[in-house]
Amino acid sequence: MPSSLPFDPIRFEVIRSALTQVTEEMAAALRRSAYSTNIKTRQDFSCAFFDKDCRPIAQSFAQPVHLGSFVELVPRAVRAYGPENMGPGDMIVVNDPYSGGSHLNDTTVFAPVFHPSQSQGRGSSETGSQGVGRTLSGGNSRQQGNGMDGGRSTGSGQGRSGRAEIKPRLIGYVAALAHHVDVGGGAPASIGPFQEIYQEGIIIQPVKLVENGQVVEDIFKLILAQIRSKRITAGDFRAQIAANLAGVRRVTDLIDRHGLDQFNQYVDLLLDYTARRTQSEMAKLPFGTFEAEGQLDYDGFTDKPVKLKVKITIGPGIGRGPATSSERAGDAVPDSSEPVGVFFDMTGCDPQRRAPVNSTYAMTFSACAYALRALMDRDLPINDGFYRYVKLNAPRGTVVNAVHPGAVVGGWETQIRVNDLLFKALSQGMPRAVAAGCKAMMAQAGFGVLDSRTGEYHCNYEALAGGYGGRFSKDGPDAVQGHGQNTENAPVEEVEINYPVRISRLSLIENSDGPGRQRGGLGLRRDYHFPNDAATFTILSDRDLEGPWGLFGGMPGEKAHYVLNPDGPGRPRMLTSKCVVQLKPGDTVSFQTPGGGGYGPPHERDPLLVLKDVRDGKVSVARAREFYRVAIDTETWVVNRTGTEVLRRSARSPITPVEGKATRTGPSLRSG
Amino acid sequence: MGPIGKLGASGSIQVRRLNPLSPCGRGRVPTTVGVEGSELTSAKTRRTTPIVPTRYRIGVDIGGTFTDATLVNEASGEVRIGKVLTTPHDPSDGFLSLVRRMVKEAGILPGDLSFVVHATTVATNAIIEGKIARTGFVTTDGFRDMLEIARQIRPSLYDLQFEKPPPLVPRYLCFGVPERLDAMGAVVRKLDEKAVRQIAAALKKEDVEAVAVCLLHSYRNPAHERRVGEILRKALPGVLISISADVAPEFREYFRASTTVINASVRPTVGRYLRSIEKRLRDDGVDAELLVMQSSGGVFTFSAASERPVFMVESGPAAGAVSAAHLGRALGYDNVLSFDMGGTTAKLSLIQGGQPRVTKDYTVGAAAQRSAGAFGGAAGYPIRTPVVDLVEIGAGGGSIAWVDSGGALRVGPHSAGADPGPACYGLGGGEPTITDANLALGRLASGYFLGGEMKLDAVAARKVIQDRCAGPLELKPDEAANGIIEIANTAMVNALRLVSVQRGYDPREYVLIAFGGAGPMHANRLAEEAGVEKVLVPMSPGTFSALGLLVTDLRYDYSQTLIRRTDDLDPEDVSTAFEKLEEQGRAALAHAGVAKGSQAFERSIDMRYFGQSFELNIPPTFPLPRVASGRERARVGVEGTSATPALDANWLEALNTRFHDAHERAYGFKVATEPTEIVNLRVTAIGRISKPKLRDLKKSSRDPKSALKGARKVFFTAPSTAPDAPSTKRSKSGATPSGAGRASSAASGWTDTPVYDRYRLPAGAGISGPAIIEEHDSTTIILPGWQGETDVHGNLLLTRIPSPSRVPSGRGSG
Repeated sequence: MPSSLPFDPIRFEVIRSALTQVTEEMAAALRRSAYSTNIKTRQDFSCAFFDKDCRPIAQSFAQPVHLGSFVELVPRAVRAYGPENMGPGDMIVVNDPYSGGSHLNDTTVFAPVFHPSQSQGRGSSETGSQGVGRTLSGGNSRQQGNGMDGGRSTGSGQGRSGRAEIKPRLIGYVAALAHHVDVGGGAPASIGPFQEIYQEGIIIQPVKLVENGQVVEDIFKLILAQIRSKRITAGDFRAQIAANLAGVRRVTDLIDRHGLDQFNQYVDLLLDYTARRTQSEMAKLPFGTFEAEGQLDYDGFTDKPVKLKVKITIGPGIGRGPATSSERAGDAVPDSSEPVGVFFDMTGCDPQRRAPVNSTYAMTFSACAYALRALMDRDLPINDGFYRYVKLNAPRGTVVNAVHPGAVVGGWETQIRVNDLLFKALSQGMPRAVAAGCKAMMAQAGFGVLDSRTGEYHCNYEALAGGYGGRFSKDGPDAVQGHGQNTENAPVEEVEINYPVRISRLSLIENSDGPGRQRGGLGLRRDYHFPNDAATFTILSDRDLEGPWGLFGGMPGEKAHYVLNPDGPGRPRMLTSKCVVQLKPGDTVSFQTPGGGGYGPPHERDPLLVLKDVRDGKVSVARAREFYRVAIDTETWVVNRTGTEVLRRSARSPITPVEGKATRTGPSLRSG
Repeated sequence: MGPIGKLGASGSIQVRRLNPLSPCGRGRVPTTVGVEGSELTSAKTRRTTPIVPTRYRIGVDIGGTFTDATLVNEASGEVRIGKVLTTPHDPSDGFLSLVRRMVKEAGILPGDLSFVVHATTVATNAIIEGKIARTGFVTTDGFRDMLEIARQIRPSLYDLQFEKPPPLVPRYLCFGVPERLDAMGAVVRKLDEKAVRQIAAALKKEDVEAVAVCLLHSYRNPAHERRVGEILRKALPGVLISISADVAPEFREYFRASTTVINASVRPTVGRYLRSIEKRLRDDGVDAELLVMQSSGGVFTFSAASERPVFMVESGPAAGAVSAAHLGRALGYDNVLSFDMGGTTAKLSLIQGGQPRVTKDYTVGAAAQRSAGAFGGAAGYPIRTPVVDLVEIGAGGGSIAWVDSGGALRVGPHSAGADPGPACYGLGGGEPTITDANLALGRLASGYFLGGEMKLDAVAARKVIQDRCAGPLELKPDEAANGIIEIANTAMVNALRLVSVQRGYDPREYVLIAFGGAGPMHANRLAEEAGVEKVLVPMSPGTFSALGLLVTDLRYDYSQTLIRRTDDLDPEDVSTAFEKLEEQGRAALAHAGVAKGSQAFERSIDMRYFGQSFELNIPPTFPLPRVASGRERARVGVEGTSATPALDANWLEALNTRFHDAHERAYGFKVATEPTEIVNLRVTAIGRISKPKLRDLKKSSRDPKSALKGARKVFFTAPSTAPDAPSTKRSKSGATPSGAGRASSAASGWTDTPVYDRYRLPAGAGISGPAIIEEHDSTTIILPGWQGETDVHGNLLLTRIPSPSRVPSGRGSG
């Protein structure tokens, strides 16, 4: 509900953009000081600011999958550790999936922000910002504490200025999450077909990594001892600390400027504003219940597919009440006088597996948040005012809300497929808004290798792109990340400089498109060759049995392939999508991701677009004839009109049944 | 003074006093405006005695709407400016006609021109408009799709309808050639020359105009790449071949390839364009040196520009930063924030140690997204050539204010442009803009816009603000207008922070130099918000940018990837690599006719902690192969001496120390025990060009009263610092309007404000804020709590009035 506080739109806009700037400055610090290619170049990290009630206020524009899970993680970690146990200059590290985290690689470092403020702002930027900032960066010893209640210690600003006693007040938390290349466990890069969480690496419940501006060496040592890539990971942790330092400085500076009361007031106003806009955006969505089913090919230990079922209900009065109570939401009798809400229900997904494909609640929440956000105005801020409308029922003990001690490292594969299924369900109500099936798997590749030249143990991780699904009026882009994932490719030259590996090929996969009026994007092939060393290679992925689905008459994209030694020596061997394989010197692993699904019947595709694809070698002449029903003269590069007409006249409706199903039930509540 | 002489960093002060000029107004018929000599000219000529026959330089800046030119008399420093409408069908038409008219009006001969310096968007426009040459791309077998795959990311996170930027070379013109080097540069697979010849044949059949070659690890060993180039050149006469090892020999293949492809694909267009200008100038009898402004802020010859046009994609914006750097240096300010606010955008950049900060992390074709966070760049094409590090945002005089669906007031990025322009122009604009808000608040005078050439309609401005903003938000019109300004200021302060704080520099240690038509109106407020203590407003801010063309040096940038841990580094290797780079630079400078004595070389090294992925550029701590000028000595030697330390262990230690310190400044920590490594070596070869001399104001009384035009009511806002903040509490004794403005609790409101004529302000005149200073092409605002003073060159310096026991200046007017 909108607040009754007076609303000054000018100061509002000033504070709003400054808050976003806080997290962008954090991201810049993290990105530029990180060690690993995964964090720096691939940008596999995110930053956020939470207020003292742990409401997410501002986020950097980074990886949406992280941002959604942050929202769960930080509040739970704060509660678990106790805000009363944190002081200025402290930072907490956590990655426990069952404390709101995701997989163990995604490790968060967060810092409480204190301001030596009375209820009004002190306004002095000199003393204010230094009070906390100096302590953190310079590592000054903590001021003599004045008891364990509340603030626990005085700000250093007090000592310096000799001012009357001012207790530092807790303002909120800044947090930096990064995907660490390795966190120990049963396979290099800590990804692999594991059966329980204890095989996946070091589990960190909330503990202090930094106390009073100093790294807690005992903890840091204990963590690093578990990790293969010690030096790089130590550097990445320092980068996270640097990001938080930047965030703490910037937030205290903001409060110096605006005063604490005003700051708090405008944070509330920002959330109200976002909530208002979210509500008005939701009211534009089509009402009804939309469902879709799908599956992962297998779980990594059994051949049994992992069944997924999603249901989205949109309408007045939907999704009120506590997030996880499904009964009310799904079956409520719509009352058109109430505000429009959206409810996500995962009932019907398989029970969790003794396999790595389990998603945590936070991860599943993140998929729903992404889907909802993608339907709204691009300009909408993302904070608690938005997240409070993401209502989700994910039954405990299932693959979308795993419980201890389920393995979760491959939960992202499930999470991102859930995301794809949400769009498939919504295609029934918003056919022009969504895409056909996308890569919709994280496509994680990792390897560990002992460099025979230097004796150093190397560990590498990356996630590969694939085809995006066709859209109502646009083709699916080739080789691109989809949904909550937006990590870059590691430059081949950088990888080869740092690791004893040779990327022997990085290319699009021709003819991997899902044919459609708007075709799906092409998949990506990346071959890892180890010329001199034995290596352990891990694949944690999916889609080698079924490619991404088409929509409205579009056809599925080519499925994924994982091949050992595709061009020799010896005969190529097919690998599975979830495996650890020991490589001999000279071996090559070829990672081939799927093409996107097509949208609309392929024989309705503009022949000139088909011509362009054929000329570019993305689609073969034969494929153009067979699926798109277009005849092309490759001497002159023109469409053979007569031939095409003949082909198209004989085109039977080439509908390949969409696997799984997407349905819409219930009457539309929208009049007219 | 010869055309190429030493840099006069000390001694002669090189700031010009521009005369009151009357360039045409926006949207009106432009004319070339010459400047008749004024009394200032004679004052100056008395001081300067020409030692060579008088020669002239002309700088020509072709923008989207106008082509600006600046003509400087090398001896007297007299400056003329001119403006014509840009001629988009062939920009060289406007160029030529403007040069002719300026030469004629100055009463000189074309042969009197010693330099013609050009800033042009021809390269950028070719990319943005897709008017590039038919280009082929040759890379290592297996990597043909490098340009298609690009960075595999989406430019916007939550947009399901996103597009990847289309590759500049279609896939059927991309070829993989069998060959392979490893990361050490060793040959793993021999180059298949037969395959190269087959590719050449295919490219010939496809009738390409240009080819880009980028093979894996060619930054380490360019042999294969050069051989491919040879074969292609032989097989494809007339086709322009660009080799990545020549254009940007740095690792990370996609970025190097993209740079090379952009270079190749704009070469034919840029070459034709420059040749056409050269021919027409020569036909007119101009025998001057012809130079082009590079993105880095240096200039290079037309022939170098035709070879490496990717170095000039940000030609225009660089000129403003160069101008600001030059003015800062001349006045003794080495640390400057350059703030250029025009009609559609505002640009901020940082000048460190007298030089604009230069970056290599840059994207072409996505300018609007430059500040849009980590993925903004994914909407365009990366280049790895030096570009002045500036942040450009959609906040200019024409930026439109609007109310979004959540009831928040927003400004930009849409602009009303010049046509229809702001509502107050009366040309049919129906949206409230920043200019309308400034007018509504009394900051702009309706009768003195462009010196009164253009009447502004204040009633229309207030009405449109009322209708579009104040009404829907239930605000008073003043509050809404003030809100528009404050929101735009916030966006600019954020941009300012991006170029300073986010790069590890504290804006409080910098002087803000404000220019562009709208810059001086907003600068004081920006300074107040960002904690900047000094604001400098040059004369004629509206044309200040074009002067940058005439105050820079020839510059050639070279780099080489050399990845080595510093604990396993042979300084000889570094020396050798540097010398090779300098040799290239020396050859280029010699080719451009630069005498030995005017050549200079700056070295720097990109470094990181071993295992990090990104580098910090560390200025050198080792000898230069010549006597450095005073300024450079200060920049170069940590020890601050001119002694030349050898490249040995001490040198390495000093280098490491510098790196650790730079890292701490940038990221807040350093790890002295951690091994470091060098990544890229860089050399900038500089050919010094003498700077035009400039004139002083006549010293007279320090009393500004003679310049007082009158007074009007102006709306000022309170500083955003908390109202009861101790730092803003000050004694009201001796209160002036300024003191009252700041001390009163959060008072925003209308204040009687004196208005001065800038052209009549004598040197040394001091003015307390609030005050308004008007000149032909801009208006400067001095806020309450600040004071302004004119220096001997006519620059206005704004500073905070000391507090709390501020002595009333007594020379201000209240």
